Amino acid sequence: MNEKDRHAIIFRFVLTLLVILALNFFLPRMMPGDPFSTTSSDVQGEDIVVMTEEQREYYISYYGLDRPLPEQFLVYLSNLVQGDLGQSIYYKMPVIQVILLHLPWTILIVLCATALSTVAGVLLGTLSARNRKHGSDRLMMTGLIGFAEIPSFLLGLIILLIFGVYLRLFPLAGAVTPFAHYTSVLDQAGDIAYHAFLPVLTLSLAQLTGVYLLTRNTLITVSTKDYIRTARAKGLGEKTVWTRHALRNALLPVVTRTGFMIGMLMGGAILVESVFSYPGIGSTLRSAVVGRDYPLIQGILLVVAVSILLCNLIVDRVYARLDPRAAD
Amino acid sequence: MAVLEIRDLKCHYTTEKSVVKAVEGISLTVGHGEIIGVVGESGSGKTTLALSIMRILPESARVSGTIHYNGTDLSSLPEQEMDRVRWKDIAIVFQNGLEVLNPVLTVGNQVIEPLLKHSSVPEKEAEIRCRELFRLVGLDPAWMNTYPHQLSGGMRQRVLLAMALSCNPKLLILDEVTSALDAFTRKEIRELLAGLQKTYGYSMIVISHDISFVSSLASRLIVLYSGRIVEAGPTLDILNSPRHPYTRGLVHATPDIFIYKDLWGIPGESPAGETHEGCPFSRRCTQSLDICRNTSPVLQSCGDGREIACHRGGIAILLKAEGLRYHYTLPDRKILPAVDGVDLEVCEGEVLAIVGQTGSGKSTLAHLLAGILPPDNGDVGFREGKVHGGNNGHRFGGIQIVFQDPFSSTSSRFTVKDAVREPLDVNGIGKPDERLGLVKEALELVRLPSKDQFLEKYCGELSGGQRQRVALARAIVMKPKLLIADEITSALDVSTAANVLRLLKGLQNRRGFAMIYISHDLTLTLKIADRIAVMNQGKIVETGNAHDVMLTPCEEYTKRLVGSRIGLCCHTHDGNDPGKSGGFSLESGSGPEGELT
Amino acid sequence: MTTRFISYTQNLQILSFFRDMFYHLGKTFSRFSTEGKIGICGVSLIILIAVFAPLLSGYPPEKITGKSLEPPSAAHLLGTDELGMDIWAQICYGARMSIFIGLAVACIAGLGGGALGILAGYLGGAADQLLMRTVDVLMALPSFPLLVVISAFMGPSIANVIVILVFFSWAKPARISRSQTLSIKSNTYITAARNFGAGPCYLVRRHILPEVLPILFVLIISITSYAIIAETGLAFLGLGDPTSKSWGMMLHYATGFRSIYFTPFWQWWLLPPLFALIFLLLCLAFISRDLEQVLDPRLRKNGGA
Repeated sequence: MNEKDRHAIIFRFVLTLLVILALNFFLPRMMPGDPFSTTSSDVQGEDIVVMTEEQREYYISYYGLDRPLPEQFLVYLSNLVQGDLGQSIYYKMPVIQVILLHLPWTILIVLCATALSTVAGVLLGTLSARNRKHGSDRLMMTGLIGFAEIPSFLLGLIILLIFGVYLRLFPLAGAVTPFAHYTSVLDQAGDIAYHAFLPVLTLSLAQLTGVYLLTRNTLITVSTKDYIRTARAKGLGEKTVWTRHALRNALLPVVTRTGFMIGMLMGGAILVESVFSYPGIGSTLRSAVVGRDYPLIQGILLVVAVSILLCNLIVDRVYARLDPRAAD
Repeated sequence: MAVLEIRDLKCHYTTEKSVVKAVEGISLTVGHGEIIGVVGESGSGKTTLALSIMRILPESARVSGTIHYNGTDLSSLPEQEMDRVRWKDIAIVFQNGLEVLNPVLTVGNQVIEPLLKHSSVPEKEAEIRCRELFRLVGLDPAWMNTYPHQLSGGMRQRVLLAMALSCNPKLLILDEVTSALDAFTRKEIRELLAGLQKTYGYSMIVISHDISFVSSLASRLIVLYSGRIVEAGPTLDILNSPRHPYTRGLVHATPDIFIYKDLWGIPGESPAGETHEGCPFSRRCTQSLDICRNTSPVLQSCGDGREIACHRGGIAILLKAEGLRYHYTLPDRKILPAVDGVDLEVCEGEVLAIVGQTGSGKSTLAHLLAGILPPDNGDVGFREGKVHGGNNGHRFGGIQIVFQDPFSSTSSRFTVKDAVREPLDVNGIGKPDERLGLVKEALELVRLPSKDQFLEKYCGELSGGQRQRVALARAIVMKPKLLIADEITSALDVSTAANVLRLLKGLQNRRGFAMIYISHDLTLTLKIADRIAVMNQGKIVETGNAHDVMLTPCEEYTKRLVGSRIGLCCHTHDGNDPGKSGGFSLESGSGPEGELT
Repeated sequence: MTTRFISYTQNLQILSFFRDMFYHLGKTFSRFSTEGKIGICGVSLIILIAVFAPLLSGYPPEKITGKSLEPPSAAHLLGTDELGMDIWAQICYGARMSIFIGLAVACIAGLGGGALGILAGYLGGAADQLLMRTVDVLMALPSFPLLVVISAFMGPSIANVIVILVFFSWAKPARISRSQTLSIKSNTYITAARNFGAGPCYLVRRHILPEVLPILFVLIISITSYAIIAETGLAFLGLGDPTSKSWGMMLHYATGFRSIYFTPFWQWWLLPPLFALIFLLLCLAFISRDLEQVLDPRLRKNGGA
């Protein structure tokens, strides 16, 4: 893309970031009532959080609630830059620590799901495109389209009920077996995989259809293009024609989609982690929201939003490198 | 042995709904170092032909017939063997489109690709060869590392050419390589191709709908219509005297070929892959018979290396005059030979102009041809019978004549209706109301009002131009096969003459009748005539294709006649010799332009 | 006499109007594919259940009418939940909630966003730029996390949920209707109409709306799906209105029950709202897939990402 487009994208990135920061800043301050009075939760089954005087004073000073608004914003920003996201009410440790404790689990399942759905989607899509007229193509299409319409967490519930509850094949909660002793790294990896399997499966299934349809349709479109005919006329052989010419072009949109998928999955992880009680950043956000743990909420939101934005930015740049038409 | 020999190639696309017969039995031969041109409109099967030679048709295509390349039958080769033939022996230059090159690979890469596949040259050498190729086609090798979308249309076409030449094929197929290019680039590509053939001896098949481009390169021309060959032969011959009605129509519709003649299309639409028995052109043909609608004609040789597929052997001869003689006896016993040994031929759907000075005998000749005067010697044959004594003026599909002076060719006391209806009345053709219908139709054809108010007007009330049109309508109402127009516009003013002439030519094109147009005005005849016969003192001194006679006259008299034209500005009116080097050259130096076109 | 005569013809007119309407509806219905027809039937069924909920369910959903966690029986078709409230009743009334929220969000966001898009596209200039920047930023925001946080802060209530969902859904219809408006505006028949003296109201009514409305209808169906999913998600996390008996809330309570997975209770407490939701969403999906080509076979999708 030319300079103007590049600038526009960076401008949009910065603007969105500012909006998130502003939202983050203003939300707690727009709450009815004082957010830091003793909170009680009337939601079923959650702990009641009570704050001590000490904590209250800390928060008032941390947020600068006794100072004028613009100063509060500056305080907020300067805290951010130093990496100080505040102190979690519930966990009683710095927000950064809480996030770093839980974020890796989310990254694990998101990346695994992205990889799985991309690979499976591309394979199935290619197969479908090659065998366009046969029955297997239509079967796959109708079947997979059904998956796309069901939201991920409902899918997750079904999977949990079938594999976890009914068949008892997989655990119902957690990222690792509690209090487990591992004999080797492999053992530990196996345990992690065992717990991560169902969430990864759910997230992949939710995205699979999208990748599949995209690959299939792009491949079909590409295979009718003139340069495929030229490649065939050059006597290069079917294999070269498909890989070097057809796939190379068809996979461009898939790359973009993969990048955006990471962003979408991070958003969807909130619900899926809740279904499987998986201790990633999503579950943490849920309990923070339910317990009105504002610093933690803001911290998680910031981290999630920034990482999604970064992903999108990276995707744009990567695409520009891959497609010479976009680079001009 | 020929490089390529195709026998009875048939190619059908099968879809769920229908079968499209794109190619229906084509046979052709390409010799070593020969350039043949394949011409036709879209839908005629040209591209399918090219793709079927390379065997890269889509899956829905069914092919039958044999394609022999240097003796090997390509149609029976397994796919891998065919891959070895592709590009190395036969290469194709596609029409330049936005996506004919892979957008994510550099053009250099794509040119080198087949080289690496088909030969064992190392990459470094392949790159050097690529540079050579680029230079050969007139591109700076620095463009090797760019992407297709960064090049202009003309440059992409050259890349495609370089790519095709990369493995040194024996046969090059060029499919519509100039359709998206401007005139300058077109010319450059043409020079390039001609140079390549001369230096390296490539055999080429040039496919295009652009006759001028094809004929500037090819020594032989093949005309396709609806998947069949309708005519084939040496380029110059075909363009100068096309034998098939379709070819004639194509030539008339191409502005580049005969630049002084007005542009006329072929009435009707080209068939879009419909199937029908019989000749595919029969619906638009002006000389079709019943057999044309039922049986498909076979391509047959008709001498001089020409072939034609037509039940009537091509454009049929309508009128044939041999050894015509006629004399007037003057009061002082002197004998004036008005027509002194004239041989003449008029073909179906053709416009023959007879030009000459006053007193050269043109009108007498016209009367003789119409059968009004009996010849002293000689014969005029029209269709099956003879003209004189025959009833060609009495029936539909005969000969009609329109005279010069409108005031005497129509009776002032007759109403328009009666005047036009006269031939029908005389011969008792049709019932009275049918006659009225025919009269109205004829009047509409000549762009006169057909309302009763006009029909009841007396011819004496009309102007000269209107009366001439009434005379024309009277001739048209008999649906003639040959119309003789004897100086019909000389008595009219310029604007009326132009209108009548255009009307006449339009009628002729649409109805497909032949016309003998007699005039002393040379310039006018150039506009509408296919052939010109120059007459002097009762003899025909020169006959031939209109442009040839006008621009490169052979006889002295013709030269004087041509030279006697008064031009408006500073042009010189001498023609140039069209190149005789195996192609019909169109860039024939400075032709007069401007006021004549 | 005359009054009777007039009312007779009026009756005829009304009858024929309905007859025409049913005829057109029937014809449109037949243009759907099999899946589309299933979709329409399914959604209609759910709407009927929602409308006639009081009749269909024997008990009011928010009153304790049985012992807790009773399995399905003749008295309670789908059993009772932890508090003893009838589950079938909750399903019936929950249908109301889902449909209402879905349609409300879809109509407001779809029509409102569409109107803004048309306005921006038609006026151009600064208004257009402003809209586009806003839409760009909105569509770049990660919607679900923000949804969660904002609803957490704004407190649980149906109105809040609707407002938040509208806030996140209006961007897409705005962008699509804007780009459609722009492409219509570029046609020369608009220039010709302006030349004849046509004003903006006429142009919008006669040229722009007929082209944009079909696309908006398709979008409205997909926003309905999104709104139902989002509301369910929020309720599942515990951010919905606790007094509303939406299916998402049922899921929330069911999964919040400590030993839900170790007891057989999930079979009649968890599954019904789950299946009801999946059924409704699939039906909506079937409809929306077909709707495009039924409304206008020449429809082209412009704009969007």
